[in-house]
Formats: sequence, structure tokens, C-alpha cells
Amino acid sequence: MGRAFDWLDKKFRIKAPHKGFLRRRLPPGLSYFYCLGGAAFTSYLILFITGLMLSLYYIPSEMEAYESVLTIQREVHLGWLIRSVHKWSATLLIVFILCHTIRVFISRAYKSPKELNWIVGCLTLVSAFASGFTGYLLPWDQKSYWATTVGTSMAATIPIMGRHLMYLIRGGMDVGGSTLIRFYSFHVLWLPVTMAALLWAHFHMVKRLGIKGRL
Amino acid sequence: MTRRDFLTGTVKAIISALVTGVTVVAAYFMYPAGLRSRTMVYCDCMDEDALPKKGVKRAEYRYTQKGREMAVGVFIVKDDSAVYALSPVCTHLGCLVNYNRHKNEFICPCHGGRYDASGKVISGPPPGPLARLPLKIENGRVYIGVMLPAAAAA
Ligand code: HEM
Ligand code: FES
Repeated sequence: MGRAFDWLDKKFRIKAPHKGFLRRRLPPGLSYFYCLGGAAFTSYLILFITGLMLSLYYIPSEMEAYESVLTIQREVHLGWLIRSVHKWSATLLIVFILCHTIRVFISRAYKSPKELNWIVGCLTLVSAFASGFTGYLLPWDQKSYWATTVGTSMAATIPIMGRHLMYLIRGGMDVGGSTLIRFYSFHVLWLPVTMAALLWAHFHMVKRLGIKGRL
Repeated sequence: MTRRDFLTGTVKAIISALVTGVTVVAAYFMYPAGLRSRTMVYCDCMDEDALPKKGVKRAEYRYTQKGREMAVGVFIVKDDSAVYALSPVCTHLGCLVNYNRHKNEFICPCHGGRYDASGKVISGPPPGPLARLPLKIENGRVYIGVMLPAAAAA
């Protein structure tokens, strides 16, 4: 690779174990269905970047959240675009992960020795759903308020612990200011970091265990 | 037991204790404080003369919390025998129900739950009737009893 990278790599030495990263031989019998995971990852990257940008203007406060979204939409340069891209890639992420999961299921790639990668994938899917759910509250309008009320109420239907779980998620008895801050923290901090760790594990195992392998 | 086994065992025990401890503390930290300190407060709602003669009337009760005026919807129902207040919070998953005058029913916009004018479930997913809230008439004013955090005042 380039000179600057080679200079850096003298210190980091990440090149050797990843030799020929872009030149590796693919096993026979792959099809474009094997790109679905990559498409999901691309959506994640787009979400990450647009999310970082939105977080510069969004205000996670009961009184100001809705106004700040209007400001992003109407005043911020290209705010409407960044916001739309974030929304659309969120939808696409879910679509791609689901399609990817179906591909893995059909090609029976979940079998040993890749069972742990299936589990990590499932956790990623759950984090993606959680990200969508927490992000949906952030515009703080009627639709997001009631969607969150209904969504968090479902936790209360779990026997015995349900109610306490719901209070824990909401940060109070009802959906309110503390729910908004909580969801914001989950959406921009906890979940992206968790997902990054999960995806690292996911790709590491793809590299170690191979993508096709025994069926 | 060798010295090495002992040390490894000790380190494992310490790490497990730390992980468990941090998890418990974190969960406790996340659990909202002050849920218990709620008390029943009677909030001003309407004039006694404004009570419905018969049937259902939508009203609001008011209180202040952290310097903000809150107005919350409630249904006042008068049937042959009594007058009572129904919470508009659907018992399914917590949306606010609307009153439909033509059908004389409460209908939930979220999943189509239906209740009759006394709050009993007619159809749909709600597991139980709409909650009745305590109602009190004093000095010509109607008050609704609700559980509020200690910081709120009627
Ligand atoms: C953000 C979410 C996800 C991303 C970005 C992602 C990405 C990827 C990528 C790039 C690959 C390698 C190429 C491919 O097969 O497409 C892969 C492989 C794999 N993924 Fe995912 N994935 C995600 C979610 C999931 C989920 C939800 C599951 C299962 C429930 C899953 C299970 C697997 C398995 C078992 C493999 C190995 C495939 C094989 O050996 O053929 N992944 N993933
Ligand atoms: S919340 Fe009312 S029917 Fe589901």
C-alpha cells in the first residue's frame, strides 16, 4: 500500500496477519447473496457517519428535542439530506440483515464450527432492532411518543419482573424526559459501541472459519 | 493445592465478584428512583355544574410539576346510579382511547380495543376494563385522585 500507510505499519504491524486482504481467493460457488452481510455493514457505516453528524445539532431534552429536529430539517445546511439518509439506511440495515440471515439459514452456514457466529449475528440483529426502536423516540413527536409508550408497555407483560423492567427501560413510570435521555444514550453510545464489538467478532470469525466451509 | 492454583483461583474469584458487583450496581443505578414516593393527590377538574347529566364527557384535570402546567385527559361518566371517572389509558399497551358518541363506546386507535361506556371490554386485545379513578366533589368543584410524584402539586 501507500508510503504513509507503510510508515504507520512499521509501528502497528497490522499488515502481516492480513496479507492480501483484497486479493484473497474466494471459494467456488459464491453468489451475490453472499454480499448481503456486506451490504448490511455498509448501511451500518452510513448510519454511524450520518449519526455523528446529526448528534452535533440534536438536543436530547424534553423541551428542545422536537424544535432541534425541526431546525435540522429546515435550517441546518443539508440537514434534511443527512436526516433522510440516516432514516433510509436504518430501514435498509434491517432489510439487509434479515436477508443476510435468510441466506445464512438457507445455505446452512450456521452449522458447526460456525454456530458462535450465528449467535453473534443474532445479537447484532437484536442490537439493530434496539437501535431502531430507541432512535424512533428521538424526534419527540406524537407518533414517536405513542410508539414508545406501546413498545415499552410490552415489557410489562412479562410475569413478575415485567413492571420493573418497564420502569427500568423508561427511567420512570411513564414515558417522559428521562426516557428521552436514556434512549438517546442507548442510541448514540451503548448500542453503536456494542454493535462495533459484535461486528468485529463476526468478521474475525468469518476470516478464521471461512465463509463457505463444510455444509 | 499448589501456590499457582491458589493464586489463579483467587484471581478468578475476585474477577467474578467484580463483574457481578458492577452489574448489580449498574442495574440499581439505572432503576428509576422515587417511584415509591408517589402519593394520591386530588386534582382540580371541573365545576360540579359541568358534570354530565347522562353519558360520557371528556374533561381534563390539572396539576403543576417542575413549574410546568400539566393537563391530563379523563372521562367523566354518569350512568343511572353513579358518576365516576375513567382513565383514558388503554389497558392493553397504554394508548389513549377516544370516546365515540355514535356507538357509545371507547375505541383505542392503536390496536382497535373497544370498551363500553362503563369501561368494560367489548372486543379487541385489552385484558381488562378501563381503570376507574377516585372522584370527589367538594365545595362545588370536582376533583380527580391520581398518583403523582412528590414534587407535583394540585
Ligand atoms: C449489522 C448486521 C450484520 C452485518 C453487518 C453482517 C455482516 C456479515 C458479513 C460481511 C459476512 C461475510 C459475508 C456474508 O456472508 O455476507 C457475514 C457472515 C455471517 N453472518 Fe453476518 N452480518 C450481520 C448480521 C448477521 C445476523 C443477524 C446473522 C444470523 C442470525 C449473521 C450470521 C452470519 C454467519 C453465520 C456468517 C458466516 C457466513 C458463512 O460462513 O457463510 N449475521 N456477516
Ligand atoms: S393499546 Fe389499546 S388496543 Fe393496544
